Amino acid sequence: MAFLINCPNCGRRNPYEFKFGGESKIAPDQGADMKAWSDYLFFHENMPDVQEEWWFHSMGCGDWVKIKRNIATHEMSEE
Amino acid sequence: MASAKQLLQYKQPGKSYDVIVIGGGLHGLATAYNLARYHGVKRIAVLERRYIGFGGSGRNTEMVRSNKRAHETLPFYKESLEMWDGLSAELEWNLLVQKKGILALAHSDPELAAMRMMSDSQRRAGIEIEMLSPQEIGKMVPSLDVSDRPALPIFGAQYHPEGGTVHHDAALWGYAKGCARYGVNICVGVEVTGIKVNGEKVCGVDTNAGYIEAPNVHVAVGGYSSEIGRMIGMQFPVVTYPMQVMTTDIMDPFLDQYVASPRLHFYTQQTLKGDLILGGPLDPFQSWNSYTTWEESSDRAFKIVEYFPDLAHVRVVRSWSGLCDCTVDSAPIMGGSGIDGLSLDVAWGYYGFKSTPACGKYAAEYIASGQLPEKIKPFALDRFFNRQLVREIIL
Repeated sequence: MAFLINCPNCGRRNPYEFKFGGESKIAPDQGADMKAWSDYLFFHENMPDVQEEWWFHSMGCGDWVKIKRNIATHEMSEE
Repeated sequence: MASAKQLLQYKQPGKSYDVIVIGGGLHGLATAYNLARYHGVKRIAVLERRYIGFGGSGRNTEMVRSNKRAHETLPFYKESLEMWDGLSAELEWNLLVQKKGILALAHSDPELAAMRMMSDSQRRAGIEIEMLSPQEIGKMVPSLDVSDRPALPIFGAQYHPEGGTVHHDAALWGYAKGCARYGVNICVGVEVTGIKVNGEKVCGVDTNAGYIEAPNVHVAVGGYSSEIGRMIGMQFPVVTYPMQVMTTDIMDPFLDQYVASPRLHFYTQQTLKGDLILGGPLDPFQSWNSYTTWEESSDRAFKIVEYFPDLAHVRVVRSWSGLCDCTVDSAPIMGGSGIDGLSLDVAWGYYGFKSTPACGKYAAEYIASGQLPEKIKPFALDRFFNRQLVREIIL
């Protein structure tokens, strides 16, 4: 595998131990209109570039991890 | 003896066109071909930044079928499947269409029940489907282990006799040849870098070969749709996942049908050449990188050996992956983009290849008439705002 995910609890681990949680986004406020919710739920940046995203370490510590990864090259940005 | 005549000639793009198609894959070429042949559009350019068929068109597993459940979309897939039959004659190019039948295996009673429900929906749409018992499957595919030895034994299967395979490169060259015959300019190595929009109307595209003017721009870029989205300042409801495929050693013919297991996510067919093509699920995480991994390959190999025990010593010789831009409802996006003259044909995920003929037909109809044809209405982008997603339960 081309990359490892740096889990704060478990160290660098194989990405197949994780469940991919998608782009990190900010949820609309409770009173937001349908358009804002549609944007949040269905529409994605999805660019071949550095992306902030969620991963769930299901076969490890069971924590949600937020990382920055270039989804075109799989290069990890270290914090 | 090979013909000395060149199949087609690539062109340098001109300064202006009536329709520009971005993307020289199957969908782009099919749309251009239909526009030129059936709608009399004279000046069409297909712009491709790499080579024709670089993306999903040359990386799929060649399966054609109509296997969805949602009643809105079934007539579309059915028509597409039927259109493959006449296409070789129409394009005067042998597409190696083989309607060899597809077996979808079930591994439990609930799954069998779900499959029966799906079969009923499909039969109502006029698609030929029947349910088979393990004994019947064993008779049909003697190499398949239908005993209760596998960890998840075969409980039954759904047989789709009209499904089969089409050679994807042959289809690509057939459409390219058809395009060239009707005067479409196919320009390779031309990358679109921007889309010019004047007010609410598209007026041309910026490329590495200069600005090209056109009142109609059609986006058929396969897995790379979000890049086009950024050019016009909008996002698409897609996430890009790669899908890995691998092929094995060449063997004597032993497998006539396409065998798939929706539950275990594997499918296989033996090509005319004799190698097995092994497909599987999408990769479990988003990526724009066409890599292949040990995890996915070993998973496919394990499953295939579980059900075809005789294949235990067959080697994998090659693997590749292609990008799939997936929506949440397993349906594509076709029709308008909100900008006048800019039409979309994106988000085809992993079911774009089989849809090519119908897709080309209806996309051309939409561009020529400006009216969204009835059959592709459920695929409009508006559905994400109106809460009218396609009610598809099969991924």
